Amino acid sequence: MTNGWTDVANADVVLVMGGNPAENHPVGFRFVMEARRKRKAKLVVVDPRFNRTATVADCFVPIRAGSDIAFLGGLIHYALSNDKFQAEYVRQHTNAAFLVKEGYGFEDGHFSGWDAEAKRYDKSTWAYEVDGQGYAKVDPSLEHPRSVFQLMRKHYARYTPEVVAAICGCTKEDFLKAAEMVTVAAANDKSGTVLYALGWTQHSHSVQLIHAAAVVQLLMGNIGMPGGGVNAQRGHANIQGSTDMGAWNMLPGYLKLPRANWATLDEYVKANTPKPLRPDSLNYWSNTSKFMVSLLKAYYGEKATAANGYGYNWLPKAGENDNHSWGFLFDRMHRGGMEGLISFGMNPVANGPNTEKMIGALSKLKWLIVAENFETETAAFWRARELADEYYPDSGEASKIQTEVFLLPAACFAEKDGAFVNSSRWLQWKEAAVDPPGEALRDQEIIARLFLKIRELNEKEGGAGAEPLRNMSWNYANPLSPSLVEVAREVNGRETGTLRQLNGFGELKDDGSTVCGNWLYSGSYTEAGNMMARRGQDDPTGLGLYPNYSWSWPANRRVLYNRASLDHEGKPWDATRAPIRWNGTRWSGDAADYKADAAPQAHGAFLMLPEGVAKLFTPDFAEGPFPEHYEPAESPVENALHPKVSFNPAAFVMDKLGAAAEFPYVGLTYRLTEHFHYWTKHIASSSELQSRFFVEVPHDLAVEKKIASGDMVRVSSARGKVEGPALVTKRIPGLKVSGKTVYQIGLPIHWGWLGKVTGPLINNLTASVFDPNSGTPEYKGFLVNLEKIS
Amino acid sequence: MQSERRMARFDLYERTVHWLAALSYLYAALTGLALWSHKLYWLAWVFGGGVTVRGLHPWGGTIFAVVLAVMFRKWAGQMKLDTDDREWLRKAHKYAVHEEEGVPESGRFNAGQKMLFWSQALATVLLFATGLVLWWPEVMPRTLRLAAVLIHPLAAIGSIGGIIIHIYMGTAAVPGALRSMVQGWVTPSWAASHHRKWYRESSER
Amino acid sequence: MHTVAKLIDTTLCIGCKACEVACQTWNDQEFTLGTFDGSYQTLPDLAPNFWNLIKFNEFERGGKLSWLMSKYQCMHCVDPGCLRACPAPGAIVHLKNGIVDFNHDNCIGCGYCITGCPFDVPRLSPTTKKVYKCSLCSDRTAVGLEPACIKTCPTNCLTFGTREDLLEKAQSRTAELQADGVAAAGVYNPAGVGGTHVLYVLANAARPEDYGLPRDPSVPLAVRLWKGPVKWLGSLVVAGGILGAFFHYVRYGPKKEHADAE
Repeated sequence: MTNGWTDVANADVVLVMGGNPAENHPVGFRFVMEARRKRKAKLVVVDPRFNRTATVADCFVPIRAGSDIAFLGGLIHYALSNDKFQAEYVRQHTNAAFLVKEGYGFEDGHFSGWDAEAKRYDKSTWAYEVDGQGYAKVDPSLEHPRSVFQLMRKHYARYTPEVVAAICGCTKEDFLKAAEMVTVAAANDKSGTVLYALGWTQHSHSVQLIHAAAVVQLLMGNIGMPGGGVNAQRGHANIQGSTDMGAWNMLPGYLKLPRANWATLDEYVKANTPKPLRPDSLNYWSNTSKFMVSLLKAYYGEKATAANGYGYNWLPKAGENDNHSWGFLFDRMHRGGMEGLISFGMNPVANGPNTEKMIGALSKLKWLIVAENFETETAAFWRARELADEYYPDSGEASKIQTEVFLLPAACFAEKDGAFVNSSRWLQWKEAAVDPPGEALRDQEIIARLFLKIRELNEKEGGAGAEPLRNMSWNYANPLSPSLVEVAREVNGRETGTLRQLNGFGELKDDGSTVCGNWLYSGSYTEAGNMMARRGQDDPTGLGLYPNYSWSWPANRRVLYNRASLDHEGKPWDATRAPIRWNGTRWSGDAADYKADAAPQAHGAFLMLPEGVAKLFTPDFAEGPFPEHYEPAESPVENALHPKVSFNPAAFVMDKLGAAAEFPYVGLTYRLTEHFHYWTKHIASSSELQSRFFVEVPHDLAVEKKIASGDMVRVSSARGKVEGPALVTKRIPGLKVSGKTVYQIGLPIHWGWLGKVTGPLINNLTASVFDPNSGTPEYKGFLVNLEKIS
Repeated sequence: MQSERRMARFDLYERTVHWLAALSYLYAALTGLALWSHKLYWLAWVFGGGVTVRGLHPWGGTIFAVVLAVMFRKWAGQMKLDTDDREWLRKAHKYAVHEEEGVPESGRFNAGQKMLFWSQALATVLLFATGLVLWWPEVMPRTLRLAAVLIHPLAAIGSIGGIIIHIYMGTAAVPGALRSMVQGWVTPSWAASHHRKWYRESSER
Repeated sequence: MHTVAKLIDTTLCIGCKACEVACQTWNDQEFTLGTFDGSYQTLPDLAPNFWNLIKFNEFERGGKLSWLMSKYQCMHCVDPGCLRACPAPGAIVHLKNGIVDFNHDNCIGCGYCITGCPFDVPRLSPTTKKVYKCSLCSDRTAVGLEPACIKTCPTNCLTFGTREDLLEKAQSRTAELQADGVAAAGVYNPAGVGGTHVLYVLANAARPEDYGLPRDPSVPLAVRLWKGPVKWLGSLVVAGGILGAFFHYVRYGPKKEHADAE
């Protein structure tokens, strides 16, 4: 979240799309309800289902899964053509005035620079026009035909309400009602927030979808404003933390993964330190070297010296164009290209796309280590045939699978201390409630024991990792089970000489004199103590920012980009809720997203970006500088905007796809309030609340197919099938898409072959299709067929 | 001596059935009364506590109903009202105050006894049927339960009212009646006085 | 003394069922695995181990789809029908703070309370042969804590307080909703049972049945007759019968053997 849960109460309009907070974030949803009560906020819900959030909405618009960019593009068009955007904000705080180089264009579904052979874009045509010093040229009048503003206006001219209605399957009237409510936030004294979750991130165009939301919010002047922002509701208590710490394709703090073509630290730093694009840009990533060197010092301690590039050479490096994201990893495994997998706190057989492919991939491994609270489907993948024969006819016999599986009993969340990083970016320290039962160990102990053993074996028997492992700093009081306080202190960072805990990333150095495990978390554990454990409930700004409650990255900032809540001169857009104020010498209020002692006019409001302003147009993403509507990999209709390029040309497809003739309906996956992932089917209470797997069938389709609630149905896709009783409902309406009725089938996830309650895995149906930027699978909007079986 | 002459009135089978009915009735009635009013709840403690009473009252009632069914088979044929009985009923108020002039002679059972028989039979049917509903409230439809909570006590009131008269008549009001049901015999003069038609028929045989 | 109450603002309920789990956990009731019954509801109905049910009511009226969630539990009536019907002294206790509590030590499991309840709430356990329902967490409220369901409610749909305060709060919330254009908003505090200690704010107070609530509940007529006139009649018949027989004997004496044997 750019803002945070408590800040949602400051909103005047709440757009919920691609999420269902009432069901999946009920505790956070109370702040939506608070906004409704205290600010008379309007709640707009855009979703394929009339879900529990929609039941309390002021406006509900049903749309087809995978058509969100069309809807948001429609909002952009509506705002621009009806003069419902915050013009001064857009002029001052976005790159609307920037000029784009000649040669940029968009035609028939392709942006300029498409390389049909390599199936990727040459992004050089998406660059700004620069002057002699390398600064982008701007036209503050926004009238230059190659200004971002004019290009955006032209790009979205196609997204008329009629086109939106035809693509999304909603009515024009519903769209306009929603657009009117959302664009109320264009006023200086109105804020609107956007809440989204996996309904946006699980598409083959998910990053562009969120980009589209950012464009809408920038046009409304909502970024940096209390009650504004683009807010991702995270699905797990600590998924934000795992991303921040560099889950798999990043180093901690969103530092790029080292690659083979950056052979030395200098090359790495050079490639990852952007140049400012405007004279007033602070360009905070110019500090990359400080973040990276401090991280290397945390990894290798005293062994990391200027002479050896602080141990950069010991880091494993990916090939120049390698992709190690989830889909590629399992695809490689499926092709036999991997030897082993350590699966911690995840259940790929259950949550990976195309379950049979996941099972197939794991059965090619030599060894698999699963550290879990329960025996999961992943730990028991080799018994798939035995446990759920009807779904995996092609999986191998247990006796033929050679994978050696180790199931390590691991402690659950209540048995561990440490910090949860919630959606609001708050690091909340917690204590262990009880000790792990039986032989279960805490994660850090499992990791430490593995590490020490592997290091020992590398030393004894020789191995590729001997040197990096030997040089790894592991000076914890109890090496076999490092305390998380020690780790947290190391993550915060300290001076190497004095061992003084750092106050924040502003103190980081690239000369080896500071250690920091994650620059973003610097300030979370200072000399003053564990800031994450704070529970102060004072609210000096009156905006619900609670600066002394836990600790928020970065720098305890509660509203990201809060400098943009003021104009260039430092005057708040809305004086009643300015999160920060300039008193002539310093900033007060929230931790300013700005240089603490810099006058308002000194820099652009968006410090992290080389532009110094927010990007409506960006060359950062794989499939274009502006978000464009592409159909899902499997769609019941052709792309109404450009039928020849229906699907995102840059997305990754690693699976067999079905066609609408055979699979005419759209599959929707979602979780139910009552469950947590694939985990709570082992828990009595959650199993009671929603005991049985079911398939939600639209009422009209059920009438057509003579299906009544409780009848057994089979849902199948080009990958597999699931079977269960039907729940016939009017909550998933049939939609008129380009004149054709499209039905969507509701498929709640949670069940599997193990637990107190069992049922089929929905990912039997989904496809290994991935967003080209994030690598997230397209779990929403795939084609299925529906049959009554009894 | 006259007093030494005995006439058999109720055989052992009839007496056994009667007293089984009486005992089960008494149990059902007293435990029923315990559940009827908080003021009579002390009766529940006499019979082993509320839970026991709630558990066994339905069984007591069932036993009574079964015994009554046996009794019904035995006596129903003799309980038909004839013309004299109807006349008797019209003159019942005279019978009650011992002015028996003009009150028709009775057979083995007089019309009052017959009315008791039929009314108890009806009450038992009602009590048993509604009792079943109240026995398993959790599976019974609400409307049935609402009817039952009204009909069960009403039937019980009717029944108990009748039984009070029956006990009074069978003990204090008609000396010799109790002996007939305990030992099974009456004196000829008793029979001639209270059940003249039966007395004559028996003597003729 | 102020009586306590629970206010359920149905306009804030999102059907998360946290209250169901809190209720079962606090009251030490076992979780059971349900069956699929064509709805999101945990169970089709309340159960002896399940005293708090979120009902999901999906219906379409005038082309508008509604999916209402509402909490269903003991209403803690001011005039409790269960208490009227209960034959066992002390099994149902009407506490001074307004809570209608079941004392299982005294419960005899007759189930009359089920019939007496206008809201069809108490449930008889086939194993323990006792009747169970929400106690408004009388053990928690006795020591100044709010009931478990209210403690856990994430949206503030549930609030706890004195009945006076909550009635006022319900009224002001209704006014707020009406000002927001929800013209039919209203408070559910049915007069037929003398009011309840569980109050609802309904978006459409004219149709409480949309929320699974009876429109105009009262202690059933049959129960009122049973515990009123029928009881008097019974006393009359029993007392009258015994006294009548006695005085008959006093006045007329026993029947004499007036005839001789022939």
